[in-house]
Formats: sequence, structure tokens, C-alpha cells
Amino acid sequence: MARFLAIANRKGGVGKSTIAVMLAHASAAWGKKRVLVVDLDTQCNASLMLIGGEGWDKARRAGRTISDYFYDRFDKVAEDESHYVAANIGDVAHPRAARGRVSLLPGSLMLEDVQGELYLKQAKRGSNPDKVAQDVRGRMMRLIKHFGHDFDYVILDCPPGLSFAALAAIDLADQVVVPFRPDYVSQFALDRVALLIERVETADQLAAVPFVDRRYICLPNYVTGKGRERLLIDQIALDHPLLQSRVPLLDSVARAFDWEESKKTMAEKYGDALPHLRALHDEVFGAATWLAKAG
Amino acid sequence: MARTRRLLSGAAKDAFLKRMLDAEPGLDDETRERLTRTLQSSIALVARRHGELPIQAPEEANTVLEEDSPSEAAEHDLAEAATVAPDVEPFDPYSPNVIVVFRTRGRDAALAELHTIEDVECLRLLAREQQLGIASDLADAADIRQAIVAAAERRIANRRAAAS
Repeated sequence: MARFLAIANRKGGVGKSTIAVMLAHASAAWGKKRVLVVDLDTQCNASLMLIGGEGWDKARRAGRTISDYFYDRFDKVAEDESHYVAANIGDVAHPRAARGRVSLLPGSLMLEDVQGELYLKQAKRGSNPDKVAQDVRGRMMRLIKHFGHDFDYVILDCPPGLSFAALAAIDLADQVVVPFRPDYVSQFALDRVALLIERVETADQLAAVPFVDRRYICLPNYVTGKGRERLLIDQIALDHPLLQSRVPLLDSVARAFDWEESKKTMAEKYGDALPHLRALHDEVFGAATWLAKAG
Repeated sequence: MARTRRLLSGAAKDAFLKRMLDAEPGLDDETRERLTRTLQSSIALVARRHGELPIQAPEEANTVLEEDSPSEAAEHDLAEAATVAPDVEPFDPYSPNVIVVFRTRGRDAALAELHTIEDVECLRLLAREQQLGIASDLADAADIRQAIVAAAERRIANRRAAAS
């Protein structure tokens, strides 16, 4: 069974999709793992990064997106999970004999509507609203879990906010990486997403959970090294576990996600961001890491 | 033996900037003037932020530089700047991290850390960079330190209030 890694933060614009795709590429290329990226964000950025605009359009026309999967399953259409997966994708070249591959369950612009519809469908059965919400969230979680059989890692690229899909992904995840920009409002966002992940309600309850027992770890992203950033990161480290890795603000990271059909090596794709990605990969997926322990 | 820090400043700095920009092809006079003014004010701002009082370069160094061609002089200045090691650490407005000290060691420790900073302008700079709002009319270092710690306390409470 795969390990499930959610990349989540209620706040938008923190680099969730780029981190999800970077980790997927790294784990496939260096860890030789079979990785599935599940794109739960209606912006579909991870899908666009991995299969390009045409590839994503083809997937949605063929009814092979996350929305189609949920729709079909709630309607008891019995397609195999693999029907919805775009296999062996991405623009990083992997040796033919290598086991490592990246696959994608493509995102959908309709996912929020679908969640609303599924909620209403369940609600018509007469349960109270909280129970219906929990049922939809629980059902989504179980449906996503089905993808765990064919992969080593399933990376859940969560949307910002608190949709059913985001909550289901957080519930399902063995571990959660929370990327953040080191700025003033980010610390508030981290405080709140931490409560959600640890299933507690107050800062005091959260503080009572030792860092080693927490299911999440925070990743400073878009780091420029300015003094104010250092201040904030040190302040955040008092309340939340942090990865040692820092992902700097680099043009090469931004350029890496301009979709190109031609396959590249990791060095060609990530340029001077490569050593940072290597460090991040080793820290997240290394044998002695928290994710390995989570299994 | 400790070396003396020497910052290019005043007339020497202006001459240096002029030579640098004169050596740059394709700049018209108006652009050159504008860039000179921008660089002068930026350098002054950085010097002030780091609590550095510019020291006038010795006249003899100035004379030598003015006799060089623009590019040679610029290289001379840069090489010289690279070999002159500072004997005074520039003021770091991010240290101590007042909020971290307050939360880990308490109010008194935060105040004690701030007592290592005597200069009023440095305290103001620290407050500004750490976003710890203090009244602008405070003139006494002890008052500013108290205000910084009070602002840190407010900031901690502010975050805590939003966290649950």
C-alpha cells in the first residue's frame, strides 16, 4: 500500500503545486518510486505542469479527471481506478528499465461543483448537515485511498481553503508537508492548518502535541534570505516543526514548470534549483525521515 | 593586526560613481545623472540602516583614483574595497529576535538583550525591521527598549488570538 503525502495549506500562493510536482519528479528519478500525483486543486496547476494544456484538455474530454472519478463512484459506475490515471507522464526522462515513474490523476475545474452536488445528493436522504458533510468527506477519502494499491507514494496536491476534497486528503495523509512563504500572514495560516491536521481546537492543545508526534511538517518556500524572513522562520519554529530544507526563490524553479513536451534530465529541468530539490527529497523521502517512519 | 575600516564616501564616492557610469557605454547624460542620484541616495540609506557613519576616503587615494582611467579606477576601488576588512560589525537589526527571546526566556530576558544596544537609532531600526511599532516621539533608549518589548508582547497576543 502506498504512503500518502498531502501538500497542504489553507493559504493560496505558497507553492503547493510546485512542491508536489518537484517531490514527485525527485522521488521517481532518485528514489525509483512509482508516484501518483492526485490534483485536488481546481486551478489544476499540477496537471498543467505534468501533462500540459493539451494533455489536460484531452483527459477532461475523455472523462478521466478527479471529478469524473468521484462522480462515477458516487453513481456506482464501476470503472477501474487505472481508467482515470494518466500513466508515466511528466517531462523528466526516466531510463526505460527504471522502476520510478510519475503518474497523474488529473484535476478538474468542476471539482468544487461536484462536491456541492454530492453533498446535496446525500443531504436529500435526510441526515443532518454535519453528518452529510462528514459522509461526503469520508467517502472521498476512501475513494482516494483506492489509488494506493499501484503506487509507492501518492502525493495529494491540495487546494487552498477547506473543501471536502482538501479535508479528505488531510484526513487520509500519513504525513502533510505545509509549504509557506515566510511573511506575516503565513504564520496565522500555519497556526490554523496545524489545528486542523492535528484535530485539535486551540493553540494550547496544539502545543501539548510534541513535534515528533505531529503529522505535519512545514517547509519555507520562496525564501530570499532577507532578515525579516529569518525572524519569521525562527518565530514559526517555536510552534511548528520545520524541515531543514529551504526552497529559495529562483527563476529556475519558475522556468521548470513551463510545460515542454521534450523530455529532460533532472539537471536540465531544475537547473540551479537541483541541489535544493535534492536536499528536500532526501529529507522528505530518506530512509530515516518522518515519512519513512510514518509507514 | 586589525585593519581600519574605510568606506568610500562623500566626494570620493561621488567621483567613483561618476567614473563607473562614465565607463558604461550607451548611457545618455540625463540617464547618467539620474542613476548617479539614485545610487547616491541608496548608498546613504544603506549606510544609515547599518548604523555606519561614512568616513571620508583619504585625499591621496582620491587623487590616485582620479588620475586613472574610468575602468581602471573602478577596478582599483573594488579591489581596495575587497581587501579592507571591517573592524566593526555592522548593526544587525534582526538580532536579537525580540519575539523569540520573549517567548522562550521571558520579558526580562528580552529587555536584557536590548540593553546590549545603546544607540537610539539602532533601537529604532531594530523596532522597524522587526515590525514592533513604537511611538516616534520616544527619545530615551530605556523608553524605547520598554516600548519594543511591549510591542513584542502585543504581537504575540495578536497571533495567539487568531490561532484558535
